[in-house]
Amino acid sequence: MSDASAAPRPVSAPETTVAQERRERAGQLLSSPTFLTGAAIVVFWAACAIFGHALVPYDPLADDMLNTLLPPSREHPFGTDQLGRDVFSRVITGSRDILTVAPLATLLGTLGGTVLGLAMGYSRGIVDEVLSRIVDALLALPTVIVALLALVALGTSKITVVLVIAFGFTPIIARTVRAAVLAERELDYVAAAKLRLEGPLHIMFVEILPNVAPPILVETTVRLGYAIFTVATLSFIGFGIQPPSPDWGLSISANYGLIGGGYWWTVLFDGLAIASLVIGVNLIADGIEGVVNG
Amino acid sequence: MKPSHALIELFRSTHGEVHNQLIDSLLAGRLNRREFMRHGSCLGLSLTTLGTIAGSVGLIAGPRSARAAGTGGTIRVAQNAPASAIDPVKIADGPGLAILSYVGDFLCFDRNDLTLEPMLAESWSPNKDGTVWTFKLRQGVKFHNGKPLTADDVVASIDRLADPANGSNALSAFTGYLSKGGTRKVDDHTVAFHLDAANGSFPYLVSSDNYNAIILPADYAGNFEQSMIATGPFKLEKYTPQVGASFVRNTDYWGGQVVPERVEATFFADIQPQILALQGGQADVILQAPVLQSVAVLNDPNFEVISLPSTAHQQLHMRNDMEPFKDARVRRAVALTLDRPKLVQGLMKGRAKIGNDSPFAAVYPMTDKSVPQRERNIAEAKELMAAAGMANGFETTLTTERFLEIPDYAVLVQNAVKEIGGKINLNVLDQGAYYGDAVYGKSPWLDSVMGITDYGHRGVPNVFLSAPLRSDGTWNGAHFKNKDYDQLVTSYIASLDIEAQRATAGKIQRLLLEETPVIFSYFYDYLTVVKKGMSGVVTTAMGQLLLAKATIG
Amino acid sequence: MARFLLKRVALSLITLWLLSVIVFTAGQVLPGNVGRAMLGPFADQRAVDALNHEMGTDRPLLVQYGDWISRFVQGDMGRSYAYRAPVAPFIANALANSAKLAAVAFLLVVPLSLAMGVLAALHAGRPVDRSIMVAGMSATIVPEFVSGIILILIFGVWLRWLPISATWPPGAGFFGQLYHLLLPAIPLVLILFGYIARMARAGTLEALDADYTRTAVLKGLPQSTVLWRHVLRNALLPTVSVIATQTAYLIGGLVVIETLFRYQGIGSLIFLAANKKDFPMLEAGVLAVGCVFAVASLLADLIYSWLNPRIRFGATE
Repeated sequence: MSDASAAPRPVSAPETTVAQERRERAGQLLSSPTFLTGAAIVVFWAACAIFGHALVPYDPLADDMLNTLLPPSREHPFGTDQLGRDVFSRVITGSRDILTVAPLATLLGTLGGTVLGLAMGYSRGIVDEVLSRIVDALLALPTVIVALLALVALGTSKITVVLVIAFGFTPIIARTVRAAVLAERELDYVAAAKLRLEGPLHIMFVEILPNVAPPILVETTVRLGYAIFTVATLSFIGFGIQPPSPDWGLSISANYGLIGGGYWWTVLFDGLAIASLVIGVNLIADGIEGVVNG
Repeated sequence: MKPSHALIELFRSTHGEVHNQLIDSLLAGRLNRREFMRHGSCLGLSLTTLGTIAGSVGLIAGPRSARAAGTGGTIRVAQNAPASAIDPVKIADGPGLAILSYVGDFLCFDRNDLTLEPMLAESWSPNKDGTVWTFKLRQGVKFHNGKPLTADDVVASIDRLADPANGSNALSAFTGYLSKGGTRKVDDHTVAFHLDAANGSFPYLVSSDNYNAIILPADYAGNFEQSMIATGPFKLEKYTPQVGASFVRNTDYWGGQVVPERVEATFFADIQPQILALQGGQADVILQAPVLQSVAVLNDPNFEVISLPSTAHQQLHMRNDMEPFKDARVRRAVALTLDRPKLVQGLMKGRAKIGNDSPFAAVYPMTDKSVPQRERNIAEAKELMAAAGMANGFETTLTTERFLEIPDYAVLVQNAVKEIGGKINLNVLDQGAYYGDAVYGKSPWLDSVMGITDYGHRGVPNVFLSAPLRSDGTWNGAHFKNKDYDQLVTSYIASLDIEAQRATAGKIQRLLLEETPVIFSYFYDYLTVVKKGMSGVVTTAMGQLLLAKATIG
Repeated sequence: MARFLLKRVALSLITLWLLSVIVFTAGQVLPGNVGRAMLGPFADQRAVDALNHEMGTDRPLLVQYGDWISRFVQGDMGRSYAYRAPVAPFIANALANSAKLAAVAFLLVVPLSLAMGVLAALHAGRPVDRSIMVAGMSATIVPEFVSGIILILIFGVWLRWLPISATWPPGAGFFGQLYHLLLPAIPLVLILFGYIARMARAGTLEALDADYTRTAVLKGLPQSTVLWRHVLRNALLPTVSVIATQTAYLIGGLVVIETLFRYQGIGSLIFLAANKKDFPMLEAGVLAVGCVFAVASLLADLIYSWLNPRIRFGATE
């Protein structure tokens, strides 16, 4: 996935050229409308996640059993849910759990996938073949099914959700990294390193890794979007975040049975929140990809 | 002598001591008409007899609903899909046992008012100490294949359920009272049950309450789904797992003319599509509607909600042998934080009755109503916590299942204990995961420090008193071990006399209020929804649906 | 070509076998035991033990696996623990349902995204192109249940144009079924649209740039003919591979859509089986999805190589 502008650079290159290029790229990024829109959305939700609890009008956890399922009004702009809790306060504070679990899972998945992909791409031969077969087998199944089966086996908690998603992402990222490594390993600087008798670990992590970093970065941001997608989905089918968290997927899961009765406000706003966050992350990924690929 | 007294004297002279005690209680005003009817029916007296006696003492009943005339039509039932194969011996789920009620009959039937009505048995009576119960069977009953019903069929059916080798769900009801071989034929139309221990409410164990106990032919060899041969008002036409089943009228039904010509049951994954089907005119009856999800339909004038007060409830247990609940004062404090009327009104939309932390629901006639109802009292709760040395509160985990309104109830409990400094973390599991292997050490239900478990309706509280609360109980999530309690329960179950039952119940209720191993905050109603204008639909809080006399409006 | 085919088939079989082992292992780790799951938590322990013995679930793992795999290969998918009935009809029914939904989704998304992709390519770099691509990628990332719920609210509850349950009444004909499948198919269309449109766009751009296109234009062929004969074939190539990789998701990964629209597809069958510890059903379901994926990939490779002469006559892999 790397192109001409990410040409391999010997480690001893002059500092200034690298720094210059980085600044140039950053400038490009900051003037891209897609990136800016996406960033604005994500920053908004991140702010809600951090400061939300202090700023919302009602305690998102406080029940009010005599005012359940009220439609939107002056006192409750988004109405109340089946326990009488203010939906607006819950939507604002609902970003916290998903913005903790998803980035963590993505990070772990990226780490695992990078290591695996480097190993597979660099070693080739039997190691690569065997690992590729296993990766293929896992990728034959939709992520949701894999995550589901793992969670039924391991029980649900935030930690298991993080681990399961990270585990699901590792083969996908490994594939991308492997492809990038395959392109790099034939290049001169790798041969030079081998001549210097550097060990395989050094070659993989010190020489090759910086040069495959751009595609990994793009892939990571895309994966973050999918992580949010997957966490929301798992909450929806009942695995992952526990009540009474105002998490959006969990709220939709608890309330979608009420749609038929006309209680639309209990799910619509949570749905829009999820949609806006994933689109925001995707726009950021789009922006970064545009800059990386020139 | 006035005619009424003559009748009563005649009755007294022809009946045993137990029945005489019943009359004494009635005459002394210690029983109202409903309690008298219920207990009398348990003792095997026919409702007509009971009605006559009650009438002769001046207690008149309300008018019975008129039976609709005319026959024909198809009743379409919307229900959840049975969880597994339809096997009368093994069935353990609501939708499955509903199907059994279309095609099969029991020895007796637990009506909505908790009285026992004869079904395949015409009458029954206990021996002096309640260890042998003799049932006389109805004559002229035929199975769907034409074979007549005899005592051999009853013996085979009940023995099959009591035999541990068959792995029946009914074992949990029979254990300790009826073993294999205890059911014996006396003659072609009489069966005697020889119990391992005295049981004053035994007939409930072979009634519709024990939903596996439909009577099958003696030569039943398995594979019930094939033809479903039994004695019920409808015969199986076709059964397709996960999709639906259809039944046709049994023209030879012992209970008289069966009104509908056909019954068609359609299976759904859950309640939403059932509501849609009802609203769209594709169904006439929704078998069971959980309150929360049915809010839309409960207020719709096109439908009628049959609401049965039932004894179904959720048990909130606290481990008596683990911190922070070792001290009974802490448990009582937690119970005092709950606002029960609000729970009933807000969570169950008024379709429940308040509970008083014991299995003795207000709807049971033998409940001692003089025991004061526990109410929310934060001040007293805080005092108790301070006395127990927990003025700073506690932290613990509440593990429970994703079922009905339980997750919402858990959140409300979580909020309520905040007032006494309690911090509860929730762990809501899938139902299967919560029950686990259902043995101590391998089940979150039985091992958790705090948990909420669903319990279905029972006609008598015996099961609720035993398995979850006795020292040797197999469902004792609270790990409650109290010798006084065990003795009280044994004597309660053994008593035949309702006054004795009530006296013991009072003692049990007070003991449980003091110890509070389990919080019973409400007993919720069983709701069935039918199209407006339908009549003759009989439901039980157990989940059975009797349509023999049902008509669409 | 034949060698290529054989190699692919062999690889698929290995993948499937690995899959069966993985699922078997996972299945034995699921909490609870079979007898208990079937009888419910309130049944007597003796009853549970008796049932476990009857079902043979108390035998060693390897024996159970060996037993199962040898029979499966011969076509006997075993008997469901929960329903005491052969598994095969359940799987067949669920697969048929999932296939119907996937078909409706494909029928809607392929023409739409191909058209949009080509359009975007023809106007490359201009606002039309940009907006199609951004819209597409945004729609892809929104979870299906979110778009599903919004659609249900708009078309099912407020406008009442479409039914909110995908399960059609028994006896419904072709159009009745189609009517019920429209709403659940739309979230799938949204998910796939961006991806396919992007591939079509890339393929079209490449074709427009290629030598043979310029030759055709120089020869005087009208643009539309050029488009149809040369460009489209190129645009189709990557589309085919995308469809193949998405088939597994479309058939087996729709637990969410099936839950939301109450549809009995293979995704929810697998989910239910996992919860009930119905091991034969679970394994059969997962392997069925794996097989679908393998067959789809194989078919895609075949079509790809037929469309792409370089592969047909070459040997590069």
